[in-house]
Amino acid sequence: MKNVLAALDHALRWALIVLMVGLVLAVTWQVISRYLFASPSSWTEEIARFLLIWIGTLGAAYAFRLNAHIGLDLLPKKLTGDAARRLHWFTQCVIIVFAVAVLVIGGSRLVYLTWDLRQYSAVLGLPIAFVYSIIPVTGVLVVIYALAAFPHVPDADTILEVE
Amino acid sequence: MSVLILLLVFVGLFALGVPIAVCIGVSTLATMLVTMAFDPAVTTIAQRMAGGLNSFALLAIPLFILSGQLMAHGGIARRLIDFSKALIGMVPGGLAFVNVISCTLFGAISGSAVAATSAIGGFMIPEMNKDGYDKNFNAALTATSATTGLLIPPSNVLIIYAVASGGVSIAALFVAGYVPGILVGLGLMAVCAYYAKRHNLPRGERVPFTVTMQKTLAALPSLFLIVLVIGGILGGIFTATEAGAIAVLYAFGLAALIYREIRVSELKEILLKSAETTAIVMFLIATSMAMSWILAYENIPAIVAGALVELSDNPIMILLLINLVLLMVGVFMDMTPAVLIFTPIFLPVATELGMSPLHFGIMMVLNLCIGLCTPPVGSILFVGCAIAKTSIGNIVRPMLPMYFAMFVVLMLVAYVPALSEFLPRWFGLIE
Repeated sequence: MKNVLAALDHALRWALIVLMVGLVLAVTWQVISRYLFASPSSWTEEIARFLLIWIGTLGAAYAFRLNAHIGLDLLPKKLTGDAARRLHWFTQCVIIVFAVAVLVIGGSRLVYLTWDLRQYSAVLGLPIAFVYSIIPVTGVLVVIYALAAFPHVPDADTILEVE
Repeated sequence: MSVLILLLVFVGLFALGVPIAVCIGVSTLATMLVTMAFDPAVTTIAQRMAGGLNSFALLAIPLFILSGQLMAHGGIARRLIDFSKALIGMVPGGLAFVNVISCTLFGAISGSAVAATSAIGGFMIPEMNKDGYDKNFNAALTATSATTGLLIPPSNVLIIYAVASGGVSIAALFVAGYVPGILVGLGLMAVCAYYAKRHNLPRGERVPFTVTMQKTLAALPSLFLIVLVIGGILGGIFTATEAGAIAVLYAFGLAALIYREIRVSELKEILLKSAETTAIVMFLIATSMAMSWILAYENIPAIVAGALVELSDNPIMILLLINLVLLMVGVFMDMTPAVLIFTPIFLPVATELGMSPLHFGIMMVLNLCIGLCTPPVGSILFVGCAIAKTSIGNIVRPMLPMYFAMFVVLMLVAYVPALSEFLPRWFGLIE
């Protein structure tokens, strides 16, 4: 189980790094192409927007892993012992409800609908369903990470260390 | 009814410490389920989330985050401090002034108040401690000065506001932030001057002219980034998003090739950290887009406007009320979610009062800057206190005059539209 999580973390980190580099290159190429070739490439804008959707959703799963999402931590920091544990479990449950309902179910339905309507991106002709498919994938990741976080009640102000 | 559910679910989960993005998503879902079946409700939210991120303007955010990260690691902070020292270090309480100026410059270049607090505070707070300044004062000053960079462009919060407001020009917002941001800096320096006199603070050393020149030259490549980004946007050479890419390339070149303070192995960490920070912001934006849809659907801005008008029909009072509410919000909520949640609620009220969306945005960000420096929550407070080795409770007293200075500037900005609108108008960015 630990190894699976570690492999998942590793894959996710590299995916994010590659996506981030891709985003910088795409926008940079857009500026360069406009000045070098007079005609700006339009595919760079589209791919950069899609990369942002992927970084935004996949990265959010990673931020759940690191317990790095912004929240009001007054109460969690005040509580200790059993109360702290129960609050931590409650928070993970809320995260799971959100991930399952909106990301997994809502996201899958969105993927299905865009596939069914044969929506393709304007420039590259990519199926929009492919772009959106990252949403249910992220949902599954968030659920896995939330379940994995159950035994780890965060200390006062440390965030979960990932090996 | 729906309003009540939205409010109760959101406030309840928020108070329990659930991540704000999840609070927004779940409260939106609960509200939608009142009038809608489950399947269309979750599909609509997923669709609004994905659609909300599908924006070229938002692409500027990861790029400015990345360039800020590169600068935080790249030895730029130290050069800005040396430059500020050569400029003003010799006056009484010199280091305090140096702190304000270098925080403002670094905050402006990097666009992150947390980065400014840790990068500048990391050098300045220990040095000020050593020179006999009160450590609580040092932490308070660093945290408050770091927020000026959120108003001075390039600034991610202003980009987020541009998106949340539905189309205020990013270029106009960027230019509009200069005067209010510099006013906050000047206000804080006035506090420093008073403090220096009262506590008879030491002067820094007077450096020979050649050293001043040398320090200025060393800092010039860093300062040039501001000129490059803003000049490029104003000159119509590139968009704000493209300016972000230029900033990344420039910061990378500067840190890796000219100052040579960044290694390839660090680069991986910097990219990952930037992706994580980006995702935290993007996830908030995505869920907020779903919530702003339900807000509009339930006509909530009109309800809020009605309630405010009920309380007073005097525009000056209503504006004051909005500011007081935002100050309260800012005490508990970080700036990004606050901008995303309260722009769709208060902006229609403000435009009803005759305020331009540009003016309102600057006022709102400045207002939330004050909240960012108020305990009990706020990452810059934690960073500042950690460096100064003090606790948040101790820095409230030295911070009181700084709050006062910021509040005075806030009132000026709220009631004198020209402070935010003069520069963008002069550049022909607004009517």
